[in-house]
Amino acid sequence: MRGAHEVSGARKAAIVGVYTTAQGRRLGRTKVSLEIEAIKGALADAGLAHTQIDGLSPLLAEPWSKTHMYWAEQLGARPVTYIGTGQGEGAVAKAAAAVSAGVCNVALAWVAHVGGGQSPGTKAVPTAAPRLPDFHWEIQGAYMTPLYALWAQRYMHEFGVSSEDLARVAVIHRDHAVLNPESVMGRKGPITIEDVLSSRMIADPLHLLDCSIENDGGYAIVIAAEEIARDCAQTPVWVLGGAEATATDVYQTFNNPWFPEEGKSVRRCTDMAFDMAGIDRQEIDVANLYDCFTVTMLRDLEEMGFCKIGEAADYVREGHTRLGGSMPCNTDGGLLSNSHNTNPSGMSVIEIVRQLRGECGERQVTDARIGVALGQGGSIHGLASTVVLARD
Amino acid sequence: MAAPYLKPLPRVSEENRPFWDGLREREFRAPRCRDCGEFGWVPYPACRNCFSTDLEWVPLSGKGVIFSYSIVYRGPGAFAEDVPYVLVLVELAEQPRPMIVLGLLEDCPHADVRIGLPVTVTFHEAPGEDVTLYRFAPDTAAG
Repeated sequence: MRGAHEVSGARKAAIVGVYTTAQGRRLGRTKVSLEIEAIKGALADAGLAHTQIDGLSPLLAEPWSKTHMYWAEQLGARPVTYIGTGQGEGAVAKAAAAVSAGVCNVALAWVAHVGGGQSPGTKAVPTAAPRLPDFHWEIQGAYMTPLYALWAQRYMHEFGVSSEDLARVAVIHRDHAVLNPESVMGRKGPITIEDVLSSRMIADPLHLLDCSIENDGGYAIVIAAEEIARDCAQTPVWVLGGAEATATDVYQTFNNPWFPEEGKSVRRCTDMAFDMAGIDRQEIDVANLYDCFTVTMLRDLEEMGFCKIGEAADYVREGHTRLGGSMPCNTDGGLLSNSHNTNPSGMSVIEIVRQLRGECGERQVTDARIGVALGQGGSIHGLASTVVLARD
Repeated sequence: MAAPYLKPLPRVSEENRPFWDGLREREFRAPRCRDCGEFGWVPYPACRNCFSTDLEWVPLSGKGVIFSYSIVYRGPGAFAEDVPYVLVLVELAEQPRPMIVLGLLEDCPHADVRIGLPVTVTFHEAPGEDVTLYRFAPDTAAG
């Protein structure tokens, strides 16, 4: 294995602190209280003071925003010189790049969410027709699950993938969650393929157990420059490479072919992340990908190049993604069984950090040294980011 | 008096007004680039193939085939009372690069819904509102 190495002489950056709040449906907390808890927790994990933060990357905030300015004030009104945004993986990748470029020394990436998800149960019937942008999908009665169901249906049609193939992803991620005491669903015990297929159909072909859960919760990640990282409380987890990409609009444009050979955003940001990291896919010891639905996990594996398009069902059936397999995935239980707190992309980064630090107890991957996390959203595989992490 | 329409409606932006006017006149229009001849869906202010802003709204045949579908058993807001309903992606007939349009499919037994089924555009007034919407239905005229 090629070790963590400098990219063109720039100083390295590491994740030095991570924290997740309780994750669950009725936490009885405000969003900002979860944010503050997560930020304090990640700083404590790192052994850093809040006065040292000079970079802010609230997840998926606008590029310049009231959010950065509010938190610059809240953290003590010291100038913040990196103002970033993105999903968890992209936020970490860009914050690390900012650190390497000397733009900041200690960056914070975080998010929290309470109250209400995206499923239809949370939407009351309005008293007047809501007005939306002209081609908004909700005008057509669509929301996340039917949109991903359309994708799953076409994918299954083109490649002969079955409902059992999708269900197997949910079974594996639940098995992993059972070993994760912080997961929302682990305490409910394992499920079988039959359990998934007999769970209520939400939008054909996606059953309830093909869909991620919905809950409140927050998290934070601290990224620091090498000279600071080496003095922090935990083993530094180096950001070897990471990138983000988007090529399409928000759930409006659909193209045929839907699964082109050359791939799109997930393929591009993943290729870039691996190129920057200077490692091969076979070197990955543990991965945490975006499983908002079972079908998404299969497509993630394909688009990231761990197997060919149309062959992810075989790859999963062969056991590669299970603990004990060649590349355990979503060892925390993922979005299907650990937590989906509306912007959960950074939870994958945190699980990889914990695996590389050796903190995962019963779900620990032995000798995990290099990991990869993927986030996607905003459209179906439309906005994506990948980050490759490693410990010494 | 008809019950109020409570499902989401388009705001009808100025740049897309010709599309919504078209539906009222029973036409499904899409923008086509006068420079390269490509259509695009959803409508954008410039051609996504060549970036020209020389676009025109063209009435389409309304014909297409189902590219994908999903029978929805849980619906949001006012759609809850319609379940199960059928959402489709329709690949329209027009070339060179067929557009794929999201919409509801009506008048089709669920067992008959399939990828490749020929469909045609239909037009619906939203009761009590000033906008006409589109849907799809099986194209009984298709061979």
